[in-house]
Amino acid sequence: MNFTDMIILAFSNLWRTKLRTLLTTLGVVIGIGALTSMVSFGTGMQKNVTDAFKNNDLFTSITVTSKKVNLDEIATGNVGQMAEALKSEGKPLTDSVLEAIRAIPGVELAYPNLEFAARIKLLGDSASLNVAAMPGAIRQYKPFNDLLAGAFFTSDTSRSVVIREETLSSRLKIKLLKKGGEVTLTHSDSVTGVKLMHPDSLIGKTISLVTMSVNKSKIPMALLGMMRKNPEMPFDETITEVKICGILKRQGEFGRGVFNGNLIIPLKTAEAIPKLGFSSVWDLLDQKKKEGAYGSIHVRLSDMKRMNEVKKALEEMEVGVFTISDQLAEIKRAFLILDSLLGAIGAIALIVAGLGIINTMVMSILERTREIGIMKAIGGSENEIKMIFFVEAAVIGFIGAIFGLVLGWIVTKIATFVMNTQFLPSGEDPINLFYFPVWLILGAIAFSLLISLAAALYPATRAARIDPVKALRHD
Amino acid sequence: MALIQTIGLAKTYKKGKVDIPALHDVTFEINEGEFFSIVGKSGSGKSTLLNLIGGLDTASAGTIIFDSKDLRKMSRSELANHRRFSVGMIFQSFNLVKSRNALENVELALIFGGVPRNIRRKKATDLLTQVGLGSRLTHTPDELSGGENQRVAIARALANNPKVLLADEPTGNLDSETSGEIIQILRDLNKNHHLTVIMVTHDLETAEIVSDQIIKMKDGKIVDQLTKTEVL
Ligand SMILES: Nc1ncnc2c1ncn2[C@@H]1O[C@H](COP(=O)(O)OP(=O)(O)OP(=O)(O)O)[C@@H](O)[C@H]1O
Ligand SMILES: [Mg+2]
Repeated sequence: MNFTDMIILAFSNLWRTKLRTLLTTLGVVIGIGALTSMVSFGTGMQKNVTDAFKNNDLFTSITVTSKKVNLDEIATGNVGQMAEALKSEGKPLTDSVLEAIRAIPGVELAYPNLEFAARIKLLGDSASLNVAAMPGAIRQYKPFNDLLAGAFFTSDTSRSVVIREETLSSRLKIKLLKKGGEVTLTHSDSVTGVKLMHPDSLIGKTISLVTMSVNKSKIPMALLGMMRKNPEMPFDETITEVKICGILKRQGEFGRGVFNGNLIIPLKTAEAIPKLGFSSVWDLLDQKKKEGAYGSIHVRLSDMKRMNEVKKALEEMEVGVFTISDQLAEIKRAFLILDSLLGAIGAIALIVAGLGIINTMVMSILERTREIGIMKAIGGSENEIKMIFFVEAAVIGFIGAIFGLVLGWIVTKIATFVMNTQFLPSGEDPINLFYFPVWLILGAIAFSLLISLAAALYPATRAARIDPVKALRHD
Repeated sequence: MALIQTIGLAKTYKKGKVDIPALHDVTFEINEGEFFSIVGKSGSGKSTLLNLIGGLDTASAGTIIFDSKDLRKMSRSELANHRRFSVGMIFQSFNLVKSRNALENVELALIFGGVPRNIRRKKATDLLTQVGLGSRLTHTPDELSGGENQRVAIARALANNPKVLLADEPTGNLDSETSGEIIQILRDLNKNHHLTVIMVTHDLETAEIVSDQIIKMKDGKIVDQLTKTEVL
């Protein structure tokens, strides 16, 4: 008896009890559907995060702060440690420290973190937003290496800026025409005055950057004014004209916030602009920041493989070192736990389906005792009888797995659709919460087969042991 | 040398601590091409003996030689092979698979016999035509009469060209006319196709007409043994 005959026989046997086969298979379908949609959610989340890491070249990125801050301690809510960190005197990140960092082998780029708020005017619209300063050399790293239009500035002193696509759509009422993609103005767009523009047509457009700075000489007048009820703020407004040289591609939901700044401006240009306030969140850690010292310094490596070596050198300099790649290990461990949990829930559903298979097979053996006796009488060996039942179970497991995958896929599509239409603010790129890697598909089929074969183990052995003499005795 | 030879064959069923002797010291020989009948009262051990020859059951003591092979020395898979290729069995209650039609029942035996799929259908059709059921191929056992069912069973028993046909009261459920037809088929197979036939029956009269050799059983023992010359 060859394998094809076995399959044909299994199908014809299952076909005879259609309803029961259908219900048993349905159990497997639901089990596999639950398992795959659960696990694909876990892997989807993980993929989104790691993709965001990759797309932003975060594995080559280090942030240096003036103090050694144990972020783990803070994350675990160790307030004492946190207060200690805030109180302690840090090592000021001066230009000489910056130079020393630049001299570390493996460091490609080191630049102070500089962000400031500004109001901008572009094509008649204005908006308040956050400006981040970066050196031109950052353009070799993702996501700055691949712009939607134009090119990243090369000179640190040029009056060119790179603007984010999101900034255009959410702050400046500009929708971009894209190749292939259909972009049209909705009714509400035309009411609110949203413009549709080709990305290339924005390159070279002038942006007026309005910044505020404290004018110390005006402070006494301001105080006087407050008393006379006609206050005049002690601020100067500076208008800097810059030109758009490039548009940064939209970042996925999970890549958002990795680099701040709606607008990216060359470092030296930014330093020359009179402006207010602290330059970054890292400054909060250092209230006693020395004049002429930076709040934090961004470091980029020539190769992610040199991470440990550079980290060690930085730690020897007694400065705070923060790398997101350290966090990734933590995140991965968290995802592993999440995946196992989701997988376990799905596996339970599948094990219940396995019990269904056992039940069906045992029932079927009771009903088919005589038939099994007949098969033995006409020459069926114990192994062949066993195989027939294993193949029947495997057919249920396989078909159940295929339709289970389809079910899981449909569930994830519906969940994604609901998520993107109901919960995501409009104008955002749709998020894909689920991910069906090949290993999940093959793994689900293998697991389903494994469970169904395990379920058939007892019934098949029992069937093979049936005594043909007893089974065939006339009734 | 005889095709089948038993020496001191015994079978005892064990039910808990109770031993139920079904066969005791059974010794006989069957030659190739013989029509051999086993008669005796109910419970005398006829079916037990037939099942031992057919390899459906194993003896408790004694020797049973089939075509110079000792059945008692065979492994379970060798016994399955014996059932598949050396013997064909038919029963009083036909033992056809109810959900399969005549063709499919015969094909099932061909599947176990390893006959390739493309010639199975033709072979099954030929076998059923041979037993006179050429026009009832796609009927299920429920749609066929007792005699017709027994013909399907005969066709199935012949599927893998066995040396010996074992028939356990093949006419037990049939009226006398139909019984005559079935006996006629068995006789034709024996005479014209040189098939050795071993038949269990209550009907001594018929056995005496068709058989070359008859054994009479009582309480698991052979009490009388007749050969052709004596029969005639
Ligand atoms: N599986 C079994 N367990 C216990 N005793 C059995 C078993 N099979 C048969 N017997 C006993 O063995 C004896 C012989 O039974 P067997 O079926 O061979 O008789 P038989 O001659 O074929 O009878 P019948 O003409 O009614 O078919 C009987 O006493 C029966 O009760
Ligand atoms: Mg009997």
